[in-house]
Amino acid sequence: VTLDRIDVMVVVDALAMGGAEQVAVDHANTFDRRTHRVHVLATRDGGPLVDRLADDVSLTILGRSATWDLRGLARFARIVRRSGIDVIHSHGRGAMKFVALARGLGLITPRHVFHDHFGWLHLDRGAGVALRAAMRLGVDAYLGVDARLCSWACTTAGMPPERTFLCRSGVDASRFARAQPLPLRSELAIRDDQLVIAMIANLRHPKDHPTLLRALAEIAPELRDRVKVVIVGALGVDPAYEAGCRAMIERLGLADQVVLYGPSADPPALLAAADAAVLSSKNETGPLVVLEYMAAGLPFIATDTGELSHAVRDLGVGFVPPPRDHLALAAALTELISMSDDERRAMGDRGRQVVLDTFDQPIVTRQIEEVYELVLGLRDRTDGLRSQRDGGSRIIARPAVR
Amino acid sequence: VVLCCFEGERWLPALLASIADQTLLPDELVVCDDGSTDRSVAIVERFAETAPFTVRIERNPERLGSTRNFAHGLSLAHGRVVALADQDDVWYPGKLAVMAWEFEQDPTISMVFSDADLMDSSGTPLGRKLWDTRLVGRTLRRHAVVPEDLFARRALTTGCTMAFRRRVVDAALPFPEELDDPWAPMRHDRWLSLVAAAVGTVRAIEEPLLAFRVHPNQETGVLVGSQLHRALARAATRVGRHSNKHEHAGRAAQLRAAAQRADLVGDFREAATLRTVADHQAARAAIGEGNQRASDVVRAALAGAYRGDPLSPLAVGADLVRSVLPAVDAPQEPAP
Repeated sequence: VTLDRIDVMVVVDALAMGGAEQVAVDHANTFDRRTHRVHVLATRDGGPLVDRLADDVSLTILGRSATWDLRGLARFARIVRRSGIDVIHSHGRGAMKFVALARGLGLITPRHVFHDHFGWLHLDRGAGVALRAAMRLGVDAYLGVDARLCSWACTTAGMPPERTFLCRSGVDASRFARAQPLPLRSELAIRDDQLVIAMIANLRHPKDHPTLLRALAEIAPELRDRVKVVIVGALGVDPAYEAGCRAMIERLGLADQVVLYGPSADPPALLAAADAAVLSSKNETGPLVVLEYMAAGLPFIATDTGELSHAVRDLGVGFVPPPRDHLALAAALTELISMSDDERRAMGDRGRQVVLDTFDQPIVTRQIEEVYELVLGLRDRTDGLRSQRDGGSRIIARPAVR
Repeated sequence: VVLCCFEGERWLPALLASIADQTLLPDELVVCDDGSTDRSVAIVERFAETAPFTVRIERNPERLGSTRNFAHGLSLAHGRVVALADQDDVWYPGKLAVMAWEFEQDPTISMVFSDADLMDSSGTPLGRKLWDTRLVGRTLRRHAVVPEDLFARRALTTGCTMAFRRRVVDAALPFPEELDDPWAPMRHDRWLSLVAAAVGTVRAIEEPLLAFRVHPNQETGVLVGSQLHRALARAATRVGRHSNKHEHAGRAAQLRAAAQRADLVGDFREAATLRTVADHQAARAAIGEGNQRASDVVRAALAGAYRGDPLSPLAVGADLVRSVLPAVDAPQEPAP
């Protein structure tokens, strides 16, 4: 098979603010335009990320109303055929099932690459009949953002290991290189001798802010006085959780150390104003924000959950304590605060270099393009895909019982 | 590994040998003897001389009972992961390795527990599984990751099949006084499960990791054959009895104690779930006192408040009877 240019359709449910949606947009913007024509289709709604799409990306909002919206399905098929799509790249399980159904019904014929961002594997490891059937019959390649997802795809959902790829997320490093710092110190009356530690995480329970608060309460008072933790993210999304966090801040006497800043329209500018960053999540499959910390040149503490924390934990770019362990997080905070400015700066510089070498968006997108070439028969599996090594082959066998 | 023993000379050698045969050895074995008068302590001391890991032996100056004894043992354990052992079981060689593997796979897992093969007092396999005899097999095979509210609704676990992370021990200790409620005593394993589900996720391993001995002297009741039918019949005769009120009130207090522990570590959502189930138990305690009528029971049943237990139709029936009839027995003191 030879193709002058591959027509790719990136399919998402919506273009709302979210990790998976951001990844979809980043990919769409960075495919090699000499070899790819890019279409984006949101099956349900648009959203604020529409504005971040590159000008040459064609956008369709399908507006389907339900999972099995047959009229929407027929319209989708017409658009795919009319656009001459070679590869459909779906993000999220809802979008995947929609595409797989269209394929299963014979309405469309392009190759289908499913990009799985599912973040609740720790609560639901099952694969229902519909999900298994969709993956078996309607998916040509599986991209998991986390090794646990790849393992699940092979062992539970029946995806062949040779068509399963670990696909770590990337970040557009250039956005952070040109960011102008916000005047955070004057805005929040932060003393010059205080370190600004940013945490970008909506106030929702998977982010586990309480473990960070408990860790702060554990560190020595004189060290604690030297930091201001600025928690950046949407407020009001989980009122009970937020109320619990606020009560905990009061109960632990952290009102002078912690600021609930609210959302930021410009995370790169906010991170440019910080000295370090932290993420205390209990469960993640990315998390993309760790790459943003590194791209911003910040030394960081991120709990050891998710593929990216796992990938960088031994590179000397940050501290990676176990999740849900406030004492380990407190030890990491103590070490971070006790470092000299030069040591922190050097750590941040190392992180930025790792992003430029490994996680810059164009590099990650090239790996996706290799998968497209594979499913289109333009490339042999033995060509040495960069992402191939870590996919299905990373399943670790469980020990024997007897 | 925390092992609590009492008059266990007959069973201990087989258990200790099976722990020493693990493909992944424990770092330490904490043994708490609850005042045995037989050779239990001597057997453990002899084992400690050649054991390929540290063995710490504690003798309680006075009897604590198994739940408090396990609390004591847990307070002495140092491991990042702690597994419980009962004196009369035999572990399969891969038990600890499989459990450790599960913890390594997912940092959110706070506790794992497995099924067990049943054997009789002489060690002969009975061809049955522990989960099935406790009527939890269907539920657990459907939920490899156990929904947290299930633990609030019923006892699903048996201590010797469990292992948990340090944070569960830290959140569970000290055991609250509410566990000693005379009408609704709660054993250590159910308390630990409640807390583990509140501060993390719990994974049920379908494969049996040990042989569980069924014998007349054991504390954890396993019902096989006609014993099970007799127990169900006994439960049915308790419909409408006054003691139910105290049981539900006691259970509500225990669930609120667990919710408090979850709140302290910031698991607010899980705490709210526990309080919802506690409120249901409190409402059941109030049945027959004029403020909970049959219509309330029906409404709660339709809303799913009784779900999660194969015996829930029996519970709904019992509550309906209590809501329309006065208690058939007089208030009384609980059995010692």
